[in-house]
Amino acid sequence: MKNRPLWLNLVLLVVLAVMPLLLSSYGLKLGSEVLIMAIFVMSLGLIIGFAGLVSLGHAAFFGAGAYTVTLIGDHLNNTYVLLLAAILVSGILAFISGLLFIRSSGAYFLMITLAFGQMLYAIAYKMEDITGGVDGKPVLATFDLGFGAIDSRLTFYYVTAVAFAASYFLLRVFISSPLGKSVRGIKENESRMTALGYNTRNYKLVVYTLSGMMAGFAGGLYSYFNEYISPDLLNWMFSGQALIMVIVGGVGTLLGPAIGAGFFVILQNYISSYTERWPIIMGLIFVAIVLYGRGGIIHIVSLIWNLLFRRKNRDQNMQHKEGTGIDSSKSGTSV
Amino acid sequence: MTLLKVEHLSKSFKALNVLKDVSLEVREGERHVVIGPNGAGKTTLFNCITGTLPINQGTVTVNNTQISGLPAYTAVGVGMSRTFQKNNLFGSLTVEENLHLAINACKPYRFNFFKPINKFTDVLEETEHLLKEWNLWDRRDRVVNELSYGEQRLLEVLLALASKPKILLLDEPTSGMSPAETIQTTKLIQSMPRSITLLVIEHDMEVVFSIADRITVLHHGEVFLSGAPEEIKGDERVKEIYFGGGTLKHA
Repeated sequence: MKNRPLWLNLVLLVVLAVMPLLLSSYGLKLGSEVLIMAIFVMSLGLIIGFAGLVSLGHAAFFGAGAYTVTLIGDHLNNTYVLLLAAILVSGILAFISGLLFIRSSGAYFLMITLAFGQMLYAIAYKMEDITGGVDGKPVLATFDLGFGAIDSRLTFYYVTAVAFAASYFLLRVFISSPLGKSVRGIKENESRMTALGYNTRNYKLVVYTLSGMMAGFAGGLYSYFNEYISPDLLNWMFSGQALIMVIVGGVGTLLGPAIGAGFFVILQNYISSYTERWPIIMGLIFVAIVLYGRGGIIHIVSLIWNLLFRRKNRDQNMQHKEGTGIDSSKSGTSV
Repeated sequence: MTLLKVEHLSKSFKALNVLKDVSLEVREGERHVVIGPNGAGKTTLFNCITGTLPINQGTVTVNNTQISGLPAYTAVGVGMSRTFQKNNLFGSLTVEENLHLAINACKPYRFNFFKPINKFTDVLEETEHLLKEWNLWDRRDRVVNELSYGEQRLLEVLLALASKPKILLLDEPTSGMSPAETIQTTKLIQSMPRSITLLVIEHDMEVVFSIADRITVLHHGEVFLSGAPEEIKGDERVKEIYFGGGTLKHA
């Protein structure tokens, strides 16, 4: 019974490893983008689905990571240092902003994170001398893990695949740890957690900071991937997109947001090559999923899966769900 | 030795004075029951003692540590925990997970984020011990929302017990229970070791007189009378305010 996440993880690894054999060169590039976005959206999914903190300013940390790599990268070309700096800078930003924001909740938290994101956006937009303003800035640093510059799409794909797998397993362990369980408990019932002796604010702050660090890591990778950054990376539109990816993929699950990211990026890519009015189609799909797919894509997938293969032992299955957290459809509609 | 000391506690919601100069002492090992008609301020008193609500005046001291003015989560640190009048549980988690959270609260590794909680053997052992003692062991995998009301009510107490408190505040532990469940719960409360001091709000007079060492009557936010059960039982004025002149049922 407990093997389910284990083989799911194995399948995930195999898919990640085998994908390049099936993909064109363009597909590899798209794959890398999906994986980077998936890390970012998973970090947002963590605070929304497990801590109940719905943020509309998460791009701030992604953008902070991207700008850190780009700006420091002009002077210092060391990938390890730059990525670490991206994680640290966004982590510090998340910690300080979290210290102020965590007091609020619900719609107020959403608004204040939105304001914070737009503030960073305005700074990047106005400080032309440093950030290049609205024109953005090319990324000069080269991706080099100590074995020479990595510029082939295949190698970079594997780098992002490893980064994604590492982030995923880190989160997987996190949500079953005492800290992760406590965060989940706070989302479920904060007043009881306080009565049990938890200083709930500290726990929320820790998970918010961790989430910001992971978003910053994704942002750092993204600036290497895209070789060009602009203030749009900090804009609330981007935060909103990430929020949609979380909801489409499945709130309250780990893999759901990652699937949502893949779905969104790939679909956007294909639809936009047919029509300029792709946001309309994306919008319709989004509405359809929210209306009929309650728990998001991952919920639909697990429903179909259960229909096809698990009919006989459905009762056992119900018990699985609680333990794995993979398809906890119960928390699926809580945004 | 006095374990819990409430001195001159006052609490008002805007113009409404809910608690007026309430003083209360609970000795170690005592079973102290607070009674009073609806709206007397009993639950507010609990909220003020535990720090859930800020107080206007007065002090609360537990085990010689003053905790009034401190946030609610600090109460557990000085050995005081509470239950709620209305079930306040983690409804979509299992019974086991509920207890894991309650036990984890006081562990030094509560901030650990790289080792699954069910790999900490002391958490598992304490969970098993408590669930078996309270006859909920066969319910451990059930989601709390699927439990019967009485079982949820037991879990409510169990969560508060998990932090191994010196003093436990029970807010109407038997409210809404069937007669059979009330009897069972009363027995469980009676069987609690004297190392746990109890401060209980209760309406059911049979339960009150079968557990109380000492009773405090709260009326209109003031301590009307405090004394041994026999004194309270025999006091005409208490009958007047609480029972509208009727006679007390004998336990």
